[in-house]
Amino acid sequence: MPIHDHGYARYAGVRTQPGRAWAVIAGAGIGRMLSARPFLLVLLFAWLQFFVRAVMFYLAANVPQADVIAPSPATFRDFFDDQGFFVFVVAVYAGAGSIANDRRANALQIYLSKPLTRVEYIGGKLAVVMAFLALVTWAPALLLLVMQTMFTGSLSFVREHAFLVPAITLFAFLQVLVASITMLALSSLSTSARYVGMLYAGAVIFSEAVFQTLRGVTGGGTGLSWVSFSASLAQVGDVIFRVEPRYDTPWGVSLLAVALVIALSAWVLARRVRGVEIVA
Amino acid sequence: MVDANARPAFGRAALRVFDLGLGQMLWSRRTVFMALIAGGPVLIAALLRALASLPTFDAGAGQIGGRAVSLDGPDIFGLMIWTFYLRFTVPVLGVFYGTALIADEVEDRTITYLFTRPVARGAVLAGKYLAYLACTAVVVLPSVTIVYFLVVPLLGGSIGRNFPALLVDLGLIGAGLAVYGAVFALVGAWFRRSLLTGLVFVFGWEPLVVVLPGYMKYLSVAYYLQGLAPHAMPQGDALSVIQALLTSVQTPLATWVNLAALALIWTVALAAAMRAVERREFVLGQ
Repeated sequence: MPIHDHGYARYAGVRTQPGRAWAVIAGAGIGRMLSARPFLLVLLFAWLQFFVRAVMFYLAANVPQADVIAPSPATFRDFFDDQGFFVFVVAVYAGAGSIANDRRANALQIYLSKPLTRVEYIGGKLAVVMAFLALVTWAPALLLLVMQTMFTGSLSFVREHAFLVPAITLFAFLQVLVASITMLALSSLSTSARYVGMLYAGAVIFSEAVFQTLRGVTGGGTGLSWVSFSASLAQVGDVIFRVEPRYDTPWGVSLLAVALVIALSAWVLARRVRGVEIVA
Repeated sequence: MVDANARPAFGRAALRVFDLGLGQMLWSRRTVFMALIAGGPVLIAALLRALASLPTFDAGAGQIGGRAVSLDGPDIFGLMIWTFYLRFTVPVLGVFYGTALIADEVEDRTITYLFTRPVARGAVLAGKYLAYLACTAVVVLPSVTIVYFLVVPLLGGSIGRNFPALLVDLGLIGAGLAVYGAVFALVGAWFRRSLLTGLVFVFGWEPLVVVLPGYMKYLSVAYYLQGLAPHAMPQGDALSVIQALLTSVQTPLATWVNLAALALIWTVALAAAMRAVERREFVLGQ
């Protein structure tokens, strides 16, 4: 039908309340990631440990000779340790290009010229990475707890270890937040997702290499574990799950190291995600 | 009379691309990443040296501020070669630059310009690979040498006596850069998500298979490379302890077998990468 009247028309759509725009970015990001088949394969692999442990829980609940593999709070702690590699892979896959690609396409200025604040933009991007990381950490860990209850047909394990649900939730949130915000901060520093992925791998592995060297020099002493941010996170995790801390570093120092990483990443994001480039 | 349609020889074409690639690699922001990776161990070595010169350091008792230092200079150097170079710098630089040889050109949409030149596509990869080798060797090998001179004299270590071990280390790291670079050049030419594939191989597959009994470990580069290391393997994390345990009960491969395996991997990977670049159609994304 031809358009006869090019005159002004008042917007008749629904006005979204301020502060909700992050959900649009998050939804679009999650949808885009879910449409990538290789990423779904990565998620499937990340759930392998869940299936293996579920079988072990079944055997422990139903075969009297399999008592040795019966779950304990340490089992759930180990689950998070073993998921560390997938946290790394999913963080690189989902997060490396999240801001870098927008910067590369000069889309950041377009985003921020809309009714969208910087906080909403960062929140939306953060939500995408955090959602997928929670899907490979928090969700399978909680589901394992549910499976344990289902297989034994009793709530006694959950009652005896009532701290497990909050511990799983708190540690998963901490692990996911550290990985996501660090990745986003690095992503805001470059226009190349490949470079960002490498920077993240470098930061994680290099800090671990420094710790291992210092550990060797000091004859196996682990008091300097705070130099590695994965070791710091592991130390805090041990305290949250009420298992023996693996390093000599006071857990408060490890928590401070983790908090510093989060604060530094937030500062980098605040400096780098701007609608205009400020040239000094 | 000069034939305008004549292609330059493969070697000459590769050298031209090498010349171009070296300039691009050395004067890019990525060099900052490489400098950080190679400079980190130097910084740690300088810190250790500074600690050793503090009044709180008791060289006779081997203590810093009352805390025992259990290793001497050559041992610390060996530890640093393992943790920083063999397990970190060499594979990371191999992944980063090796996968970037072709992937960067695809990402920047400049591969068309390279492939429309009258040179063999394989020569483009060979030239870029040579540039990667030169660039990483120029940065990493001096870093190892500086660490050696800073760390080895600590706690009575002798620079002269340990010099042959340094030469072995330099050769080993050079070989590692060459082989990892070739493997990841192949990964970069084959896979779309080449960086992630490379990271999974280096930090997921290799640490796992070298501790598995059986033949799985032969499907890695790290096994052959670590078999040539003249220093004792450090035992920090659980995987290292298992690896050291397995190494102690298994007959290690002879040096020539390790070298032959690395040479074979290098040749096959580089040839396959060049073949892949020659045959593959690279589709530039939107």
